[in-house]
Amino acid sequence: MLNRLFSEIRFRVRALFRRDRLEQELDTELSFHLQKEAEKHMATGVSPEEARRRARAAFGAVQGTKDDARDARGISLIDSLAQDLKYALRGLRKRPAFTMGVVLTLGLGIGANAAMFGIVDRLLFRPPLGLKDPETAHRVFQHGRTQDRRPRVLRNFAFRRYLDLQRTTRSFESFAAFQTRTLALGEGSDTHEAKVTLASASYFQFFDVRPALGRFYGPAEDSVPAGSPVVVLGHDYWQARYGGRSDIIGQQLRIDRGTFTIIGVAPNGFVGAGDQGVPAAFVPITAYAHAARGPGYPALHTWTWMEMLARRKPEISEAAANQDLTSAFLASWRETIAANPNWGKLEDMGIRGELAPMLLARGPHAGRDAKVATWVLGVAAIVLLIACANVANLFLSRAFARRREFAMRLALGVTRARLARQLLTESLVLALIGGAVGLVIAQWGAAALRAAFLDAAASAVIVDPRTLLFTALAVMVTALLTGIVPALQTGRGNLNLTLKGGANEGPHRSRARPLLLVFQATLSVVLLIGAGLFVRSLSHVKNYRLGYDVAPVLYASANPRGYRPSEAEQRSLAEAMLETAKRIPGVQYATLTISVPFWSNEGTGLWVPGIDSVTRRGNFLFNTGSPDYFKTLGTRILKGRAFDERDRAGAAPVLVVGERMAEALWPGQDALSKCVRIGADTAPCSQVIGVAEEMRLRSLTGEREYSFFVPSAQHTAPPVPEIFVRVTGDPERLIEPLRRELQKLMPGPAYVNVVPLSELVDPSLKAWKFGTTMFVAFGGLALLLAAIGLYSMIAYDVTQRTRELGVRIALGSSVSRVLGLIVSSGLRLVGAGVVLGVLLALWGAKWMEGLLFQQTPRDPVIYGVVAGILLLVAVVAAVLPALRATRIDPNSALRLDG
Amino acid sequence: MLLSKRKGNAVTDYLDLPQGTLDLLILKAVSLRPMHGWAISERLHDVTRATLQIPQGSLYPALHRLERRGWIRAEWGSSDNNRKAKFYELTPSGKKQLAADTKAWARLTNAVGLVLDMS
Repeated sequence: MLNRLFSEIRFRVRALFRRDRLEQELDTELSFHLQKEAEKHMATGVSPEEARRRARAAFGAVQGTKDDARDARGISLIDSLAQDLKYALRGLRKRPAFTMGVVLTLGLGIGANAAMFGIVDRLLFRPPLGLKDPETAHRVFQHGRTQDRRPRVLRNFAFRRYLDLQRTTRSFESFAAFQTRTLALGEGSDTHEAKVTLASASYFQFFDVRPALGRFYGPAEDSVPAGSPVVVLGHDYWQARYGGRSDIIGQQLRIDRGTFTIIGVAPNGFVGAGDQGVPAAFVPITAYAHAARGPGYPALHTWTWMEMLARRKPEISEAAANQDLTSAFLASWRETIAANPNWGKLEDMGIRGELAPMLLARGPHAGRDAKVATWVLGVAAIVLLIACANVANLFLSRAFARRREFAMRLALGVTRARLARQLLTESLVLALIGGAVGLVIAQWGAAALRAAFLDAAASAVIVDPRTLLFTALAVMVTALLTGIVPALQTGRGNLNLTLKGGANEGPHRSRARPLLLVFQATLSVVLLIGAGLFVRSLSHVKNYRLGYDVAPVLYASANPRGYRPSEAEQRSLAEAMLETAKRIPGVQYATLTISVPFWSNEGTGLWVPGIDSVTRRGNFLFNTGSPDYFKTLGTRILKGRAFDERDRAGAAPVLVVGERMAEALWPGQDALSKCVRIGADTAPCSQVIGVAEEMRLRSLTGEREYSFFVPSAQHTAPPVPEIFVRVTGDPERLIEPLRRELQKLMPGPAYVNVVPLSELVDPSLKAWKFGTTMFVAFGGLALLLAAIGLYSMIAYDVTQRTRELGVRIALGSSVSRVLGLIVSSGLRLVGAGVVLGVLLALWGAKWMEGLLFQQTPRDPVIYGVVAGILLLVAVVAAVLPALRATRIDPNSALRLDG
Repeated sequence: MLLSKRKGNAVTDYLDLPQGTLDLLILKAVSLRPMHGWAISERLHDVTRATLQIPQGSLYPALHRLERRGWIRAEWGSSDNNRKAKFYELTPSGKKQLAADTKAWARLTNAVGLVLDMS
């Protein structure tokens, strides 16, 4: 046995390294045989030529024997692969136009997929950078019900919940608490805002990372309640602000209200578990909480502000750990309810813990982003399929043109399997080059895509191993898809007939090609319908009246940064900001506010005489404003009046309600003069003085979201003065003057921040914009590819039929008849594709519904337009070659090699 | 299965080789003395009185396969009038293989014979 193994190995090694020599030996051996055989025949007296002929006949196919002998030696795989490669490359070099076309087509298809894969992978599959053992690391969610019995899922918790869970669970190795906030860093004129992650010391233990400099903080520096004022800088921030110097350890940095000592720098690219990109700094969560809320914060029930991570013990199943988590939550909430009996009954709250994956998009708070990205990846795959169909089609027509060559080689004894392998090698080479081109395209595209779509720092596509692996896979699939049909068709049919027949008309016409065309048309229709739906959906989003103007409005907020003014001081500061803002040229109106659409707003309890438990009817969002509030935002008052100077502190309390709120609370009645108690059922009656146009504050589609407005003067001053400013002309231009003037009013360390309202509102429209852009881009690409495929197939078909058409014209068939013949055959195929595509789109429509805004996925206009476009493309693609065909001179057509 | 084969319109006396028996025949042939490919082919043709249909071309892949397995080894030598030829001879492990295969063949034909003699 060993002997045999040894012989086998020696043989193969020899085969590998001494290929030429062995090849020569094989030649010598076979020619010796043929010679001996011929001599045998000559001995019987036949001529030398006849003897040689007989020898060959007795031997069989020499080429085939050689191949078989090579196979038998076990060298053929590497050997013939090299040969196939050489052959394929030579063939491709000889046809640069063909090669370029195929490489570009595949490059676009593969590139689109690689770019989209990078995004989907980051959103859905790749664990956060450096995460240790992702299987046992979880983000903690809590299921429950609101007071109006609606299910809701939370991931922001009070600090005491974190302490309770640590104390009462048994299934976990550790918990971590964290939150990322935008805080002020630096001092004086250097003050700037940046993302800071407030994290427990245990947070770093979830990751397998080492500080780039210094150290992370430990439990001693994160002790309840006060922690220590230490800070670990983010790598980018360190580079940008400190030039990457290593002597910064021990330096002081003002963060929010405290002064922190720099003890380390996080490694490059370390994001942690947050979803807001690489933070500028990490500070102990206890140190921040203590500075923000004082030493009593661990006992607070109401300050729900931080997220939690949990590391499950590996021997505990996820189900068991979930149960443990749920009982811990219940125990913790029992105390909360005991302290706040008016919050409802624990039994009614349906509280349950959930351990979700670390990636937000995989948990209960998955956003629209991941869904849209997955769809777009699907779209990219379809584009690749269309590209493959195109290339397969090209291969087929080439294989058809080369069938004489193939027949010749078959006759020479090359096996069909070998021929098929050669064709596959050719498509593999093309797919590989296409893949390389695709990576370059993806690299360009991905940078733009990620900037528009992902907040996380983008890594290069070309060096990302997961994307590379995916691309390699895509290349293999592409090679197989494009190569398999022509490979299967090699040498079908009768060799003799093929060898005898001319180049122009074979005994059979491939049936695969029309099928491919129908397939392509089908996919294009589906994609274009998707693109059309997204475009209409986005235009609905854009034209949707939010109930206020976004573009001309700036938002300014004063951050006191630890300075604690009295309420009177706050009011006068707010008033001063308002007056200062109004004096700046270009400012039309200004108003105080407490909420910002899609950014910060809160609901409140309402009591209305004659209506039971109002809060069960939905979420009532509370807003305050000064007399110019509605003018500043451009919100129309539909009935009654807006606030004015009469609605002072101490005057009769009033409110303005949104249109839908008026309809929901007092259907069919006049809302004006109704009484509403705000915040408590013992509060004085506030009178409805006006009905405003509905404002969308949290979501575009939330049915149960209502808004109402009270005068700022009649409400306690917000902790932070905030104002909206309406400007004429370019709002960007006024940001800096506004900030400068307002900053002059700030007491002590307080500072002012000014941003356009659009910056706060637009991110909620991002997923729609992204989906539209990608669908349109890919839909266009698909249409282009399908048009090229259609054109090349019909044009090819026409050249194949040159002789037949010549005969028809010679026999007196009119030009228009011939034209009709060709165009109708093209239209038939595309028409079939259109029908199939429409059916497919109708069937898939139900999954699109959630991604569209006020747009039915079965919009007949879009379906009609897409069908029209495709048929038009078919007509154009058919008419051009058909016109050429009608100009054929019947004489020369008839004389063509046949 | 041994089948007579129709070729054209005439029934010939050729027999196709059952799968795997070519190896046995080659081993047997070269066990007598080292031989080159053509000689093996002639030998088989003569000994079987031309009843076995062995395309000469199929001999070589089989020879190379057997060589790879280490049952025969090849050496370049000179044939009549000094032409270079590749001679194959049986190796010790080839000898064992031949013995085993011969025994198996005998048992097989014996068993088949018994079945065919059934009455």
